[in-house]
Amino acid sequence: MSDAIKRLECRAAKCRRNILRMIRAGGAGHMGGAMSCMDIVTALYFYALYVDPLDPKKNDRDRFVLSAGHKCMAQYAALAERGFFDESLLDTYGALGTKLPGHPDMHKLPGIEANTGALGHGLAISVGMALGLRASGLKSRVFTVLGDGELPEGSNWEAVSAASHYKLSNLTAFVDVNGLQISGSTASVMNMEPIDARFEAFGWAVATIDGNDMGEIVRTLDSLPLATERPSAIIARTVKGKGLAFAEGNAAYHYWKPKEEELAEAEAELDRAIRLKEAV
Amino acid sequence: MGPIALNDVKMSDPRKVFGAAVLASALKNPDITVLSADSGGSSGHGEFKKLYPERYYEFGIMEQCVIGVASGLATTGKIPVFCAIAPFVTARPFEMFRNDIGYMRQNVKIVGRNSGVSYSDLGSTHHSLEDFAITRMIPGVTVLAPQDPDEITSAVDAMFLHDGPVYMRIGNDPIPDLMIPGPFAIGRGQTLRPGTDVSIVSTGNLTGAAIAAAEILEGRGISARVVGMPTVHPLDRELIADCAQKTGLIVTIEEHYVIGGLGTIVQESVCDGGFSAKVCKLGLPHVYVSSGPYKELMAFYGLDAHGIARSVADKIGRI
Repeated sequence: MSDAIKRLECRAAKCRRNILRMIRAGGAGHMGGAMSCMDIVTALYFYALYVDPLDPKKNDRDRFVLSAGHKCMAQYAALAERGFFDESLLDTYGALGTKLPGHPDMHKLPGIEANTGALGHGLAISVGMALGLRASGLKSRVFTVLGDGELPEGSNWEAVSAASHYKLSNLTAFVDVNGLQISGSTASVMNMEPIDARFEAFGWAVATIDGNDMGEIVRTLDSLPLATERPSAIIARTVKGKGLAFAEGNAAYHYWKPKEEELAEAEAELDRAIRLKEAV
Repeated sequence: MGPIALNDVKMSDPRKVFGAAVLASALKNPDITVLSADSGGSSGHGEFKKLYPERYYEFGIMEQCVIGVASGLATTGKIPVFCAIAPFVTARPFEMFRNDIGYMRQNVKIVGRNSGVSYSDLGSTHHSLEDFAITRMIPGVTVLAPQDPDEITSAVDAMFLHDGPVYMRIGNDPIPDLMIPGPFAIGRGQTLRPGTDVSIVSTGNLTGAAIAAAEILEGRGISARVVGMPTVHPLDRELIADCAQKTGLIVTIEEHYVIGGLGTIVQESVCDGGFSAKVCKLGLPHVYVSSGPYKELMAFYGLDAHGIARSVADKIGRI
């Protein structure tokens, strides 16, 4: 494993620890999905995205839209780690007037590009961004993270069609397939498999990866766009609650309101993970 | 100011006037971008498409996506305008309008054409009688309903100069030139005809009928002031206060449900201002209205000149 990958994994561990910091401040949050997409979001902010924390509105920046807005703790965690704002803001999560609401608000926090949270919105907004950036002659790219639980929203498939029709090779959508949603497994609630074949049928270039394997994420980012004149879909198989042994693969941690002992155990686990990753 | 006569006036297609106005603005502003949900040609954008194919995006029938795309385009500095049949840009994609344009505060212009019951024969799926109510509920959205061809042109110009989300509604049938003095300003109404017994406050393409009703009423010895209100939200509260103080009775006219639209907004303004003036609302009843030829439908619901005059005279009789 290269040093670069190890450093990214260490960043991801620190970002996961930031998520717990927010949960300690606010008492609860959408933990499971934030943890499952944390490796992808880390790789985006620390490897792929052309962004400048000192100039967050820079005209030719890359855009990142978190369509599954309830996973915003992952984005807040990465933005803080990347230096978009002072990490002490994480301690305001859940407080009155916080700049870190339970779903992101672009007018409150630098680095947020869209007000997501209502599911099935982020991809259409991303299509508009990709069209606008291309029309402006910019090389900027647009990245979106969708949750597998939001795929039944029909509006997604309108946007999937439009992205393909307009040959948006500057658009990449990660689908964070952790396989679980509030009511159980996504396959039992509303089966959207085969997700890869559906995107392919709509004209996208598709790769399926382990979305918690930093090396695989980085290799895939290096290969973008997956095809010329086509948008790229990366079907990322992930584990809900990734990083916390007791929560992994358990839908009950979709929204987590921990007891003090649980939170302390989680913090200790991630502190150990950070120490281990810093050591190698 | 003398009364505006409606005899021998030129009639114009509001959609063609709208399309020409967008094109005129687009000549000056290269960021103006037209979006179509299989709706551009019928919205008067044929010439724009020919002249600026690179600024014209066709999506087919997917209005929810188009609203989201408009928001994304606006974040990159474009000024998207999206015009289609009114219910399909308001009721259907309401959450996208609310979140992607309203909450994100994006500089997007949404235009509902064939508004009200102007697709009269097509039935309630194609009528839009709640668009004022739902769009004004989105914080930061300006709601316009220009009243005649020249005002459509002025309102389009103003909507592009205004930095923020706008919903504009236009109709379908040809509308007369009302020779509204102008200049058009967002948030301002105008007295179009003086009068002392009652104020008829109208918006959109019913204002011609309101003026004609005032002329009928004059023949019956009733002096009706006609106020044109091309901005439904935010309302010109000063002008409404003046009406409330000077005439005591305000009758609102709109091609919208009698609840939630201009009439309700005027009532709120009169009530909030502490005025004792009475407000009577004319519009479509809160039901799935009938279908049929437009003029007959409007007459059936008392929204032609004679119907309005009859209702106003009746209200005055009751007071």
